[in-house]
Amino acid sequence: MTTPPWRAAGGTAVQRPGFHPVSVRKTLGKANGNIYTVRTPHRHHPYNSPAYSKSLNSRPQTAQPPTPAARRTQFPDALKAYVARTFEDCPAESKAEVEIALKKIITEAFENESVWSIDWATYPLPASARRGSVDSDKMDISSGDEASPISHAPTNKFHKIAKGANNSNSNSNNNNNKRKLGSRIASEKTEVSRPDKRSKKQNASDYSYEGPDAFKRLDRKYKRHQTTKNVFNQYNAMQSALDSPAFAPIVGRSTKLEKRYLRLTSAPDPDTVRPLHVLEKTLELLKTKWKAENNYSYICDQFKSLRQDLTVQHIKNEFTINVYEIHARIALEKGDLGEYNQCQSQLANLYADKISGGHPHEFKAYRILYLLHTCNRSDMNDILASLTPAEKQDRAVLHALAVRGATAAGNFHRFFRLYLDAPNMGGYLMDSFIDRERLASLSAICKSYRPDVPFRHVTEELGFENDAECEAFLVKYNAGDFIKTKQVTKGEGENKQTTDKIILETQRALPTFEAAKAAAFKKVDIKGQI
Amino acid sequence: MESLIRAWRLAHGEENGKLLASTISLTNTDLEEFAYSTNSARVAEDIFRALEYENNSTRPKITNKTGLEAWAEVYVAFWKVAQALERYDEVEWGQVFAGMKDMTQYVRFTAVIRGFQNSGWEVWQLEILYTACKYLRYVAIRADEAKRAAGEDTWKQLEEAARVINRAFNVCLNDRAELAQSRKWGTYYIINILFKTYFKLNAITLSKNILKALVANTTEMPDLLSFRTSDVVTFKYYCGVIAFLDEDYFKAEEHLEMAYRLCHKDAQKNKELILTYLIPTKLLTRRQLPSAALLEPYPSLEAVFLPFTKCIKGGDLRGYDENLAKGEDWFVKKRIFLTLERGRDITLRNLFRKVYLSAGDSKTRIPVDHFRAAVSWKSGVDVETEEVECFLANMMYKGYIKGYISRERGMVVLSGTNAFPDTGV
Repeated sequence: MTTPPWRAAGGTAVQRPGFHPVSVRKTLGKANGNIYTVRTPHRHHPYNSPAYSKSLNSRPQTAQPPTPAARRTQFPDALKAYVARTFEDCPAESKAEVEIALKKIITEAFENESVWSIDWATYPLPASARRGSVDSDKMDISSGDEASPISHAPTNKFHKIAKGANNSNSNSNNNNNKRKLGSRIASEKTEVSRPDKRSKKQNASDYSYEGPDAFKRLDRKYKRHQTTKNVFNQYNAMQSALDSPAFAPIVGRSTKLEKRYLRLTSAPDPDTVRPLHVLEKTLELLKTKWKAENNYSYICDQFKSLRQDLTVQHIKNEFTINVYEIHARIALEKGDLGEYNQCQSQLANLYADKISGGHPHEFKAYRILYLLHTCNRSDMNDILASLTPAEKQDRAVLHALAVRGATAAGNFHRFFRLYLDAPNMGGYLMDSFIDRERLASLSAICKSYRPDVPFRHVTEELGFENDAECEAFLVKYNAGDFIKTKQVTKGEGENKQTTDKIILETQRALPTFEAAKAAAFKKVDIKGQI
Repeated sequence: MESLIRAWRLAHGEENGKLLASTISLTNTDLEEFAYSTNSARVAEDIFRALEYENNSTRPKITNKTGLEAWAEVYVAFWKVAQALERYDEVEWGQVFAGMKDMTQYVRFTAVIRGFQNSGWEVWQLEILYTACKYLRYVAIRADEAKRAAGEDTWKQLEEAARVINRAFNVCLNDRAELAQSRKWGTYYIINILFKTYFKLNAITLSKNILKALVANTTEMPDLLSFRTSDVVTFKYYCGVIAFLDEDYFKAEEHLEMAYRLCHKDAQKNKELILTYLIPTKLLTRRQLPSAALLEPYPSLEAVFLPFTKCIKGGDLRGYDENLAKGEDWFVKKRIFLTLERGRDITLRNLFRKVYLSAGDSKTRIPVDHFRAAVSWKSGVDVETEEVECFLANMMYKGYIKGYISRERGMVVLSGTNAFPDTGV
C-alpha cells in the first residue's frame, strides 16, 4: 500500500483543509463525544487514529484488575490501546522522546497503583506525541478553524440523513475520515457507475463466491512475506517500561550458602532467597563438596534450591546455564533421568534465549540420546529437523546421530562400538537403554546362530568389558543356564587337540531373551518429559 | 453494507449456504465498501437497522430480536475485521485476528441459540461456520507470522484460534437435533480444519483427542461415507498420517488407501500429499515399491522416490544412503525420514539375495565372506565380518532370510526352499 497523502505531507492537519468537514463530524456526531473529548488534542487528527476512534466509542471501561500478583506485570488492555495510539501519530524523529514520556506516565501509574483505575481511553497523550507540535495550547487555537462552524453545519445535516437509516445515500455520505484522498476522489468519479454495480449485487447468484485459491488471493492482496515495518512496536515500549526499577523482580537478602529445597507455595520471601553473588559462592561450595563427599541426595537437594533462587529472581545468564549444566551432568552420572530431564528442558529454553555460554551442542547430543531412550520418534523427527549445519559438525552430535542410525538399522555391532566410544557423559545416558539394546541383540543372535555362539563373541559384540560382566548380565536375565562348555576337536591324527570352549546355546536361550526384550521395550520412563 | 446485508437476506430466503458464507468471506469483493460504509461509533446501530430492514422487507426469516441481535454481532465483528484490513496503510494482523475470533464465536452463537429462527439452525447454514473457522485459521497464522517477523517466537494466536475452532467442533459434534437438522453434518469439515491447525502447531496429540471424542460419539453419528467426499478424503488423509506417525503402519495404510481411492481424480496436489505417506507405508507393510507409472504424474514425488526404487531393487546401498542424505531435509520435514530409513533393510536383503543367486542354484552354504565382499562393494566402505554377521542376524530375525549362521565355520546355511520369502526364490 502506498503512503496516504496526509502521511506523505508530514505536515499538520491545518495544512490540509480538504479534510476539515470530514474529520470533525465524527467526533461531534456522536452523543458521547463529550466536552472533554472534544477538547483533547487528538481531535486534530482523528482521521489517523483507529485506536482513538475505537476508544471513543467504547464505554469508558474500567478493566477488572487481576490478582495482586499479576498486577505488576500485566497491562490493562486499555493501556495497550493507549500506547498504540501514542505511537500511531508520532513522527519518526520524536519517537525516542515519546518513549521516555510514555515510560514516565506508565511507571507513575504503576507506582500510584492507578494503572487499573485510569480511563486510558480518554487519558491525554504525552505532549511530545502530538503531531508536529510541542505546544498543545497553541495548537488548540490554530486548529480552531478546523472545527469552524462552516464544517459543523454539513456535519449535522449529514448526521440527520444518516439517522434515517437504510437511505441508500448514507453509504457515500458516511464520514470516510480515514479514507485516502485519492480513493475518495475516485469514488466520487465512479459514483455514477455505482448504482449499476449495486443493482447487479442484488442478484444473489452474482454475489462473489470464493474460488478454491482464496488464500492465495488474500496473500497477494495483503502482501504476504512483507517485513513488518512496524518497527516501533508498542510492545517494545512496554517492555522497556517494565524494565524500570518499579517492576524489578525480588532480590534476595540471604547470605547463607546452603539451603534445603522446599517447594514454594507462596510468594518468595527475600530473606530466605540468596542473591546472585551468594549463589556463585554456593556453586563453588557444592562443586567441592560433590568431589569430596559424592553424596547425591544432598547435592541434588542443594541444586534444586539453587535453581529455585535463580528462578524467583529471574536470573537468566551464563551462571544460570552453568548451574543447570552441572546439575544435569551430576544427575546423568547418577542415572537420575527425571532430574536430568528437568535441567535439560530449562537448558533448551536458556539456549533458545541466545544467552551466551554453556555447551548447547553437548546437550543437544544428550537430548538425542535421551529421545532414543524414551523411544520418542515424533520428537526425534523434530530434533532432526531442527539441527543446524554447525550442530551436524559437532563430534558429540555426530556420535549421537550415529547411535540413532545404528539403533534404527538394528546394527548392534556398530551400536556397541559407539557405546564404548561415547564423548562427554553420553555413555551414562546410553547406560539407561543399553540393557534393552543388549536383549534385542541377543534375540537376533540367538535366532540366527546355530548350533551355538562362542561366549567370547557375545562379550565382544555386546560391548561388555569382560566375560565376567557378560556372564553377570546373562544370569540377571535368567540365561545363565545356557552358558555351556563344549569340547572342540581340532586337527587330525597325532595333532589332534581337544580344547574346552565356552558357548551360548542359542536355540534354547531364544525364548528367554525374547520375553526379556518385550518387557524391556514396554515401559519407558516419561517423568518430566518435555 | 447494503449489498452485504441484502445477500444475507437472500441467502436466508433461498437457503443458500455458500451465499451466506460469502458475506463474511475475506475475499468478498464488497469488503472495502463495507469497511468504509460506517464507523465504529455507529456500526452497531447501522448494522442492526440494516438487518432489521432487510429481514422485514420480505416475509421475516428471523422472528425475534435475539436472533437479529446475534446476527448483528456477527456483522459488527466482521466490520471490525474489514476495517482493520482495509482502512490502514498497513494491516495490523493482531487486530484482524481479534475481530475474526469474535466473529467466529458469534457465528457459533447464532448456531447455538435455538428457536430464534422459524425453523432453527439448519444444515445449509453450516457454510458460514466453515468460512469463519477457515479464515480464522488463516488470519491467526498471518498474525503470528507478523509477530514472528518481529522476533517473537510464538504461535499464540493460532493456538487461540485452535481453541475457538475446537468449540465449533463441539457445537457440531454434540448436537442432538434430528439428523436432517443436525449440526453433526459439520463435524468432519471442522475436524479437518482442526487437524490442519494442530499439525501446524506440532500438537498432534491434540488430534488424537479429537479422534477419541469422535469415537465416543459414533453411535449417533451418520456413516462417514454419507458426508461430503471432500471432507472424507481430508479426514482419512489426516487419520492416515496420524497413524503413520504413531508407527501403526497397517492402520495408516488402510486410511491412506481409502483417501487415495476417494480422492477426486483431478486433485493432483491432494493425491500427491496422500502418496507422500502411502509410499513409505507400503514399503514397510508390504515391501512394495511404487511403479514408474504411478509416480509419473507427480514430478516432485518422482524425483524423490524413483531413484530410491532403483537403489532398493538393485541392492545399491551407497546409492540408497546418498539419496536418503540428499532428501533428508524434505523427508524430515514431512516426517517420513525415519520410516524411509528402514527401507535400507530391503536394499540389503535384495543384495544378499543377489549373492545367493550368483552362488548357483542349489547352493545353500555360502561363506560369510561373500556377503561381506558384496556389502563392502555396494556400500563403498570396508565392513568387518562381525558387522555383516550382525546384518545377517537381523535379516534372519525379521524373517527376511531363512537360514542360520555357523560361526565356527564362517558359513551361512540357507534354507533349501524359500530362503528369501516373498521374492520367488
